[in-house]
Amino acid sequence: MNDIVSLFDRRRSDFWQMAIRYLRLIGNSGFLFTIYLLFIFGSYYYGQFLQWLPETFPAVLFMTAVITWMMTRGRVRTFFQQADLIYLLPLESRLKPYFRKGIMYSWLMETFWTVFLFMLLTPFFFDRIAEGGAVWLGSVIALSLLKLWNLVCSFEEQRILDKWAYRKHQWMRLAVNLLIVYLLFSGQEWWIMLILGGALTVFYFTYYKKIEHVFTLKWERLVAIENATVMTFYRIANSFTDVPRLNNTVKRRRLIDPLFNFITYRQRNVYKYMFGRSFFRANDYFGIYLRLMLLGVIFIFGVDVSWGVWFVAGLFFYMTALQLETLARHYDTKQMPDLFPLSDEIKQQGLRYWLVLLLGVQAAVFSVMTLFTGELYDFASVLVICLTLMFYTVKVRPKKSRT
Amino acid sequence: MTELLNVDGLTGGYQRNKPVIREMNFSVKPYEMVGLIGLNGAGKSTTIKHILGLIEPIEGEIRLNGKTIFDDMHMFRQNMAYIPETPLLYEEMTLWEHLEITAMAYGLEQAEFHVRAEHLLKEFRMTKMKNWFPSHFSKGMRQKVMIMSAFLIEPPLYIADEPFVGLDPIGIKSYLDRMIQLRDDGCGILMSTHILATAEKYCDRFLFLHNGTIVLEGTLDEMRAQANMPGADLDEIYVEVTKEESDE
Repeated sequence: MNDIVSLFDRRRSDFWQMAIRYLRLIGNSGFLFTIYLLFIFGSYYYGQFLQWLPETFPAVLFMTAVITWMMTRGRVRTFFQQADLIYLLPLESRLKPYFRKGIMYSWLMETFWTVFLFMLLTPFFFDRIAEGGAVWLGSVIALSLLKLWNLVCSFEEQRILDKWAYRKHQWMRLAVNLLIVYLLFSGQEWWIMLILGGALTVFYFTYYKKIEHVFTLKWERLVAIENATVMTFYRIANSFTDVPRLNNTVKRRRLIDPLFNFITYRQRNVYKYMFGRSFFRANDYFGIYLRLMLLGVIFIFGVDVSWGVWFVAGLFFYMTALQLETLARHYDTKQMPDLFPLSDEIKQQGLRYWLVLLLGVQAAVFSVMTLFTGELYDFASVLVICLTLMFYTVKVRPKKSRT
Repeated sequence: MTELLNVDGLTGGYQRNKPVIREMNFSVKPYEMVGLIGLNGAGKSTTIKHILGLIEPIEGEIRLNGKTIFDDMHMFRQNMAYIPETPLLYEEMTLWEHLEITAMAYGLEQAEFHVRAEHLLKEFRMTKMKNWFPSHFSKGMRQKVMIMSAFLIEPPLYIADEPFVGLDPIGIKSYLDRMIQLRDDGCGILMSTHILATAEKYCDRFLFLHNGTIVLEGTLDEMRAQANMPGADLDEIYVEVTKEESDE
């Protein structure tokens, strides 16, 4: 029994060791700077936004929708691995303490995220729904308990194999959450909430708890849920730093295919051919490129002062350049290109081709965008800044890194 | 006959003070298939990596057509094809694109590439999967991509590291038929394998590798004589030779 509990503890700490490594990388990356910027701009515009928002805005409905989503989403983390299908399966009947730990852990984490989201919405909440520390604290406690109910129910729910019945249970939970959250935010008396809480508890014991006697654990689903959770984490981390384990996510993006026809069949075009396909299909290079471009455009529109526009344009352009540069190492773990009868210069040429093309497009987009809000000299300055940075990335940095 | 590949006094490995292979001498000539036989960890893959020029010898040298990789890297690379033990594929590229990259890298004419590629796809029964990504491939299909890439460039020397792993019987037959054809056309082939029954049937000569040195080499008859085991098959000689070594 103790072994099973310590297994959970070990897996949890393994996960966090890995997570902390990535969190540290994220902390050190230039990307965090964008978050600071976003935070500063955000808190300034938040107040303005609340003033601007018409009185008729359905505040309670909005809060209900957001919080209901938060309540319904999320699963019990089991830290299950593929191999558990073989090695833990025989212990299924003895895994209760393991899952209890999983539920407690998930409750803690989910409460953290709920509070985080609620804090983001707090100024809005105080402005439009209710004011006062007691109300705030009461709401948070109520939401945390509702979250616990959702977690324990969703854990029993996963035993139902039939997809449609499984879905139906999820929708049912969503409906219950909608009702409870709506009543909470529309300011019902506390004893009404208490009665509802009691009803949910009874419902759990008389209905959900019984599922266990009819259906066994759905191991493959639990593994899939666990993988999805870890993948979500990786995907978030991947926006800041390179996550090796994500390297095999591939999207075809057929619409891009015609673009590849411009690269003709020639020995010295091999790397143009390869880098192009890798950029658009693998590792989400393309996604990061688009996201940075979009964020850059938003900032260019949002910032009023001239030098601020130049600064954010340069900043986002340089971050894009740094992300694209990682393409250079994309084939490092594959042996086959090392055997190609081609010089390193041809590889560099192929890389440069895409760097210049992609950064050129971004420079054009950024500078043209300034024309909507700024003057002609903003256009010129942004263009010059971007092109200088592009020259630096393509010509100067590769030499530095080689020596 | 002139030698295609010549390994002379090769001592090597990843660390200078811990060589994995020692004092190795052998050659591969045109018109012959040489089997590199050894236990797990005997040094087969390290030997192959040295031949490919992925790691540098600690001592000795490796010549292809009389030249080392430092003399003429382009010629060295251009003249050999490698079939790795574990398929190395780009998850973001289709089967066809893998073949195209290979053909482009080795400077094959486009028209010639199409003819050869279509032919190989048919032979290995992969035409249907031409535009698939590797994530949809089984282990055997992945291996077939590696084999097709190697056959596509038609170099004088082939280096194959456990090429049959995961292949279905038809795949193995296509592969071996092709190899025999190539050998008869004048190519040299060095093939490492564990499947001794197949090796015995197809290889002209064998190199028995044990603890980083060649313990026995020659044709089947020559090895029978050396091991003093007339009429024995490759399996028996192999077991006998490695047993002697481990008793020492």
